[in-house]
Amino acid sequence: MAMASAMDLSPPTFFLSGTSSSSSLRRLSSISVSSFRRHSTRRLQLLCQATAGTQPQSGLSESGSKLAARSGQDRLLKVPISKIRNFSIIAHIDHGKSTLADKLLQVTGTVQNRDMKEQFLDNMDLERERGITIKLQAARMRYVYEDTPYCLNLIDTPGHVDFSYEVSRSLAACEGALLVVDASQGVEAQTLANVYLALENNLEIIPVVNKIDLPGAEPEQVIREIEEVIGLDCSNAILCSAKEGIGITEILDAIVQRIPPPRDTAENPLRALIFDSYYDPYRGVIVYFRVIDGKVKKGDRIFFMASGKDYFADEIGVLSPNQIQVDELYAGEVGYISASIRSVADARVGDTITNYGRKAESSLPGYEEATPMVFCGLFPVDADQFPDLRDALEKLQLNDAALKFEPETSSAMGFGFRCGFLGLLHMEIVQERLEREYNLNLITTAPSVVYRVNTVNGDTTMCSNPSLLPQPGQRKSVEEPYVKIELLTPKEFIGALMELAQDRRGEFKEMKYIAENRASILYELPLAEMVGDFFDQLKSRTKGYASMEYSVIGYRESDLIKLDILINAELVEPLSTIVHRDKAYSVGRALTQKLKELIPRQMFKVPIQACIGTKVIASEALSAIRKDVLAKCYGGDISRKKKLLKKQAAGKKRMKAIGRVDVPQEAFMAVLKLEREVL
Amino acid sequence: MLKTTISPIFSSFTGKPKASRLIFQACKAVLEDTPPSARRNASTNLTMLHQGPPTSAYVHLPFCRKRCHYCDFPILALGSSSSSSNLYEEGKEDDPRITNYVNLVVREIKATRAGFDTKPNLETVFFGGGTPSLVPPKLVALILDTLSLDFGLSPDAEISMEMDPGTFGAQKLKELMDLGVNRVSLGVQAFQDELLKACGRAHGVSQVYEAIEFVKKCGVENWSMDLISSLPHQTLEMWEESLRLAIESQPNHVSVYDLQVEQGTKFGNVYTPGQSPLPSETQSAEFYKTASSMLRGAGYDHYEVSSYAKDGFKCKHNLIYWKNKPFYAFGLGSASYVGGLRFSRPRRLKEYTNYVTDLENGAANWCGNGNVDLKDVATDIVMLSFRTSKGLELKEFGEAFGREVVNSICKVYEPYVESGHIVCLDDMRREVMSDEFKTLIANDEMKIEDHVRYLRLRDPDGFLLSNELISLAFGVISP
Repeated sequence: MAMASAMDLSPPTFFLSGTSSSSSLRRLSSISVSSFRRHSTRRLQLLCQATAGTQPQSGLSESGSKLAARSGQDRLLKVPISKIRNFSIIAHIDHGKSTLADKLLQVTGTVQNRDMKEQFLDNMDLERERGITIKLQAARMRYVYEDTPYCLNLIDTPGHVDFSYEVSRSLAACEGALLVVDASQGVEAQTLANVYLALENNLEIIPVVNKIDLPGAEPEQVIREIEEVIGLDCSNAILCSAKEGIGITEILDAIVQRIPPPRDTAENPLRALIFDSYYDPYRGVIVYFRVIDGKVKKGDRIFFMASGKDYFADEIGVLSPNQIQVDELYAGEVGYISASIRSVADARVGDTITNYGRKAESSLPGYEEATPMVFCGLFPVDADQFPDLRDALEKLQLNDAALKFEPETSSAMGFGFRCGFLGLLHMEIVQERLEREYNLNLITTAPSVVYRVNTVNGDTTMCSNPSLLPQPGQRKSVEEPYVKIELLTPKEFIGALMELAQDRRGEFKEMKYIAENRASILYELPLAEMVGDFFDQLKSRTKGYASMEYSVIGYRESDLIKLDILINAELVEPLSTIVHRDKAYSVGRALTQKLKELIPRQMFKVPIQACIGTKVIASEALSAIRKDVLAKCYGGDISRKKKLLKKQAAGKKRMKAIGRVDVPQEAFMAVLKLEREVL
Repeated sequence: MLKTTISPIFSSFTGKPKASRLIFQACKAVLEDTPPSARRNASTNLTMLHQGPPTSAYVHLPFCRKRCHYCDFPILALGSSSSSSNLYEEGKEDDPRITNYVNLVVREIKATRAGFDTKPNLETVFFGGGTPSLVPPKLVALILDTLSLDFGLSPDAEISMEMDPGTFGAQKLKELMDLGVNRVSLGVQAFQDELLKACGRAHGVSQVYEAIEFVKKCGVENWSMDLISSLPHQTLEMWEESLRLAIESQPNHVSVYDLQVEQGTKFGNVYTPGQSPLPSETQSAEFYKTASSMLRGAGYDHYEVSSYAKDGFKCKHNLIYWKNKPFYAFGLGSASYVGGLRFSRPRRLKEYTNYVTDLENGAANWCGNGNVDLKDVATDIVMLSFRTSKGLELKEFGEAFGREVVNSICKVYEPYVESGHIVCLDDMRREVMSDEFKTLIANDEMKIEDHVRYLRLRDPDGFLLSNELISLAFGVISP
């Protein structure tokens, strides 16, 4: 239904207005067909809430908006490179980035009022639900400043640390950024991280204090905070309310005035930076890029410098915010290419596109291979769904080069996959998409990190699966990834957060007050300690007020051991975990206790033990069933008793035999859940 | 793996014969569907056992004075008014409810026309209830006469009747014996008034002693005493006392039932198994063990999970059940097993009445519909055999259902042979030790059943866990 309304509303106005030549008309109508197809297949694009939602109030006068609309329709027109401005928006979740982006699109006439839907840039259902941007989008706008038309390209960034590489690539595609801070919330940890990324990329940063209309707004205080924490000159910070349309024109003016134009390198060999790509089942991979040097034309043979693949550019266009075909893009411009590319791995974010016939000498800096940091096992609850799970993962991988997986077999869980993710959010998103979009019912093992194991014979191996950890005799040392973590919190929660970090083997580094009332705390701690419920704990211990940011800082040797669970003296591999020696005892005790609760009693006494090597560190015992005896089969009527026995037999079938012990699947699930909590 | 080795054998049997109204059709259909290998052994094969004409009949006489608190059988409570004044002798006038019911049962027997070629006499008849001893002897005579006329009654047939203390006197018992009733199953249940009262029995301990007195006075040679263990408020001391007094009264058969708290009964509504005032699981296991050791110590053979007998006094009728042999059943809610089909009659009087009418009109059939599923036969045999001390005979089981099943059952039981829950016996019923059993299983070349002829549950540890152990074999047979 949402789709139907989206189709009724948006595409025709975008594509058919303001064009004059018949050839371009033909071309445009052909786009709208493919564009329709994209709407219907990708579904994510136009889930529109605007029809039901409140119409944003425009701060512009009627004639002003008409004027803007006209210029918006001319946005395909070329402007000199000196009149191009590429920028992104850096903001914490809920600080109003999407609302501001929407307002910019609306005020510049890029999107007509009647086609406006809230948070235009966030595409996926998940993004909308979580209020965060996972995959980025871009929008080309036309803005007339002092009678000169400018082309503004907004490149949206994902708002989560798991995707900091993607963020850095979109920032690298810009010359400037709006730093949006909520006037009542202040600077948050995530914002900081992205500002630093922007500063590293030499971006011109325009501070914007949003939501000044709200009762709790303290713009002066927030401005001071930005100056103190980031060291940014805020003398010309813009106060705005995206929702009320206050300050929007000032922001557009500042973009033109303060953000430098791209360098004019249109005559150089082509180099275009990929800042996003996604897989469209009908057209192959669609690549979003910023032309840094040179130009690219429709039909060009292009070459991806990192993947080494070459393709013909079947279609080139701009994002505004829908895809609109053009013939050519030159240095400074932002657009997309469709070239029948089979997988996003061929056109990864950060890769450089060059011309096959006239290759650039070197690729653009900053490209990185995706390295999964967090791993977990995914198993279908119903073993029959294994092929479906494989298909689903393959499909997701087409669109997500960072997702890694390989088959894994577990005695308890059957066939499944060990999957690698950029971080916890990435893991959650993948799990959720598998369950939601592919209707799979999954069991997830506790997330683990990749350990680096130095063996006695001098080799170094990477190990993400506890059951594959080399025997103690064979390993010299084990290293684990560490992260630097920055927590921003109101000062009353400092104690609670330090306790949390200390609990998680955190090493205190630094604390400073960034405002009278707020502190920044710096810790270094093992990534393994963060993959559990750290973030949930952070939120619950600070009533949601604290925010955090982390980055991986490398491997460090730790006193890590493999904690095994033995049921009736049989090792239960999927329950093995790698933990720090200091935590082994408490984890072991929690796991054995939980198992004792969940395993039904057997015909004999069953010891449940947690062990390090051969040393038992926690032990519980399941007492034997004493009596389960058939009553009289009265008058030879055995049918009812038989039914009971059949039921009992069926119950056993649902269990996994660990040696002589029948363990219900639910016990595994509960323990894995517990591991996620206690590890 | 188990699944693939076993399923071909079973699948060739199942789902074939069309439901047949007449038993000979059902038999014929099953016979035609039996593959040659099975047919060759037709005379001894377990799969054929149920196909002959039954020689046993169960007759349900559902009347009780009131419902006991643990009871969920199909009974008809008469109330205590009608015959309370003359419990011990036959009433001046019969309760029309009983007369009408017996007439109905007689009609049912008459309407049951078995189409077997041979017509062997009945060897056992069992009057169960309810409280059959509430039925006037002349009505019992009517039933026996009808059975005799329709099926033939062997002169030395075992004719059992369940009797409750307080519902019969010497004269009534004598009359019943004259009719041919030669085995009495006395429902004593406990020797403590407070326990009898707590479970809603209609008699007290004094009536128990009186009843024993009558049985002895009338010279009933073959009699059994029923006891229930794990009653609410029962202590080990009480249980030992009951067992001791039972032994002292010298029945040649004792049945010991562990209380089952069934849904919908009074107990089911107020008690939770294993929780006070019911004994804990450990206590009731202890009761079971105590019964086993005391009764065996007194010379009783523990020949079935809940049955003990002196030499030569096993209940022949019940053995028919345990051997998976066919039997007729008549009366409210009763279950028959004829032609491989189990069939339960309606549990409500009105529906049962309609059923009998339909039977007479040819609109209903008396042996049930459906197909004989060999997996069902196999699970029945496993379930019933393991109830007995004889246990499961592997050779004939293997011949009937395939050697692979025997192997799989042995494999699944291996840990329980080791733990002592299951006993392996050779041809001569000497115990095969668990190490040897392990070796036999590990060696694919050897036929296990050549070395291990029987598997049985150990008394009392295996019997105590019979549900668990039997359900393991169920899992092997129908994976």
